[in-house]
Amino acid sequence: MSMTKNGFILAGVDGSELGDAVIDYAIWLSKKGPAPLNLLHTIEHSHHSEQVHHEGNLTPNIKEHLLDELSDEERMESKQLIAEGKHILNQAKQKAEDAGVVDLIAKQRHGTLPEALIDLQSELAMVVIGSKGQDHSGEAKGLGTQLEAAIRVVSKPIFIVKYGFTEPKKLMFAYNGSPTSLKALNLLKREALFHDGLEVHVVSVSKNLREAENLVEDAKATLKEANIDVIGQALTGDSLSFLTQYQQDNAIDITMMGAFSHGKLHGFIFGSFTTQMLLESKTQFLLVR
Amino acid sequence: MLLSAKQDWLGNVRNDILAGIVVALALVPEAIAFSIIAGVDPKVGLYASFAIAVIIAIVGGRAGMISAATAATALLMVTLVKDHGLQYLLVATILAGVLQIVAGYLNLHKFMSFISKSVMTGFLNALAILIFMAQLPELTNVTWHVYALTATGLGIIYLFPYVPKIGQLLPSPLVNIVVLTLIVYVFDIQVRTIGDMGDLPDTLPIFLWPDVPFNFETLSIIFPYSISIAIVGLLESLMTANVIDELTDTESDKKRECKGQGIANIGSGLIGGMAGCAMIGQSIINVKSGGRGRLSTMTAGILLLILVVFLSDILSIVPMAALVAVMIMVSIGTFNWLSIKELKTNPVSASSVMVATVIVVVWTHNLAFGVFTGILIGSLFMAQRLSQYLLVESAYEENTDTRTYHVIGQVFFNSSDRFIGFFDFKEAVDKIVIDVHRAHFWDITGVAALDKVVIKLRREGADVSIIGLNEASETLLDKFAVHDKPDEVEKMMGEH
Repeated sequence: MSMTKNGFILAGVDGSELGDAVIDYAIWLSKKGPAPLNLLHTIEHSHHSEQVHHEGNLTPNIKEHLLDELSDEERMESKQLIAEGKHILNQAKQKAEDAGVVDLIAKQRHGTLPEALIDLQSELAMVVIGSKGQDHSGEAKGLGTQLEAAIRVVSKPIFIVKYGFTEPKKLMFAYNGSPTSLKALNLLKREALFHDGLEVHVVSVSKNLREAENLVEDAKATLKEANIDVIGQALTGDSLSFLTQYQQDNAIDITMMGAFSHGKLHGFIFGSFTTQMLLESKTQFLLVR
Repeated sequence: MLLSAKQDWLGNVRNDILAGIVVALALVPEAIAFSIIAGVDPKVGLYASFAIAVIIAIVGGRAGMISAATAATALLMVTLVKDHGLQYLLVATILAGVLQIVAGYLNLHKFMSFISKSVMTGFLNALAILIFMAQLPELTNVTWHVYALTATGLGIIYLFPYVPKIGQLLPSPLVNIVVLTLIVYVFDIQVRTIGDMGDLPDTLPIFLWPDVPFNFETLSIIFPYSISIAIVGLLESLMTANVIDELTDTESDKKRECKGQGIANIGSGLIGGMAGCAMIGQSIINVKSGGRGRLSTMTAGILLLILVVFLSDILSIVPMAALVAVMIMVSIGTFNWLSIKELKTNPVSASSVMVATVIVVVWTHNLAFGVFTGILIGSLFMAQRLSQYLLVESAYEENTDTRTYHVIGQVFFNSSDRFIGFFDFKEAVDKIVIDVHRAHFWDITGVAALDKVVIKLRREGADVSIIGLNEASETLLDKFAVHDKPDEVEKMMGEH
């Protein structure tokens, strides 16, 4: 049973520098699934009224007049934003069609990407988004402000594009035995999409080597049940530095891990491990919630 | 959450501060006028407006909405102040706040869905009439100077914005106040001024526990007032929130608003202020002036206090006529003038709900009574209309001597008599089948009507059987809903 049978892969399309890569990976995933692809452009309204009146009086039927005036003003701006978005979206759609994606929808929604994801939650199987949106283009490091919000609202796997597209060959699965990483393990086992044609590395880092080895063995055994052969590696020490080192040493393309297993408060105070991994890793990301 | 909180406060800084200034200038005369309505010193309304605006800016559920002392709540306090004095008003204000917080936790904001457009229009029209009527004491038994001043004030309020350049820069209600004050001062005209109406604030507000005996007697005095204030305050606040939602095409957190109004009223009562709520007119002025965020409400509240504390000497010589002009403007702006034209075009049911709401409010001076009346009349019209959705078709089969009744539609208290009327009790047949699978029985009155029909038919000697009763009586459960049953939707919508 494929998870992609019951939903589509949603790609968040915008005009940012990662936009092209997002579409490429979405195409790659959609064809690999195979799963329907939904290209989504969100129109964010941050309208600031230009027509401000400071006369401060209440005239007859002021509410109706004001409503007309404000909606006229916003309508023009919305039309403009929709047209711009449509242009970006059409280019993305053309690209997907050229690449041979058949089951394809390109749509626009009002609001932020996290809002759209909440609304479409039940219909989607997987999300592909860039680590930085339009607002953060040009910043060398850092994550888009909406990324963490998007990760928190979606309960489906999220593919986070950090770099330009290269055909992925190696996937590293960071396994620590937590509930979300267990969920990720099962997903990896169940979905051909995540292991087919990829060299899978299972890496566990723990303070105690025995514990790490056990985790790796467990994961290997689980995956073996589905005839998936993997390369295992148990490490001790600081998770962050060892995992990122491993990524570099083995030329990993995609890092897969369970996301945000601690509550929001924990992440707020300690800076969540997921966020640190996302920042430090030089690979694409597959997060499982 | 954090992201949107930041947006609420800092998303629109420049416009919010400018709008807050415009609002603060307009709030001063209103707060004084509403104190006069309630029969307390102007400082009670001014402290209240400061406390409520500042607190609601932080804890409210609708960014960009202005709350302060209001006419709607002031009208409810008149007899309490007259009979028992200010201290009882303060403790009633605190209790109203507590009740509003409870209402918030009980999700009572959801009952707003019962308030139809007609009731809302009636509410606003009634509010406008009451604000206007409250100005009449200032306009009766006075010299011609007062009329002349008021007319001049209104002229300034409506025409000053047309003056090139400065017309759009200075709020015209403020210009009205400044000009009328200068006229009265320079020509030494003897008319009533704000100073004649009672104490103005000369210090910053201080925390004070109301000086009343804490016993059951006090509670029984204040409770009826507190509950009225709590209800009316929430009604106007939630209606205003809806208006701002619509104007700005954004959403608000109604539950948070209910609790926020409660906290704001408690805060007001504790610093010697009267109860208040959201102000529809001021909130619209705020939006018109570009205010969208919490900062505009905060600015309005703080600036209001600074203005009155430091300018209380000047304020005291402002003629009441200037205030009356502002309040007439508020009244004109609050009234829905289109609704008069719509009396002809709207259905009679809608118009009568609106008019009934207005009449009851103007009669009782309590907006809550008007709203309840409007809801009640509206519901009766609705029940009347729904009862038309009932049809019984019948067929007779000669071979078996069987009469079959097919009941289609809604059976409830208001349609049960019509339901019974569809049956022919005089017809002598062997068998009678009542097919109700396409009917809905909404209440026990509907079920009793069916029982009555069956018993009556059996008495006449027929064998009566009923088909589809289980489906038809599903609707008896209070929690019945069709949203997750596609078949039910089909059944309810498709066949009538």
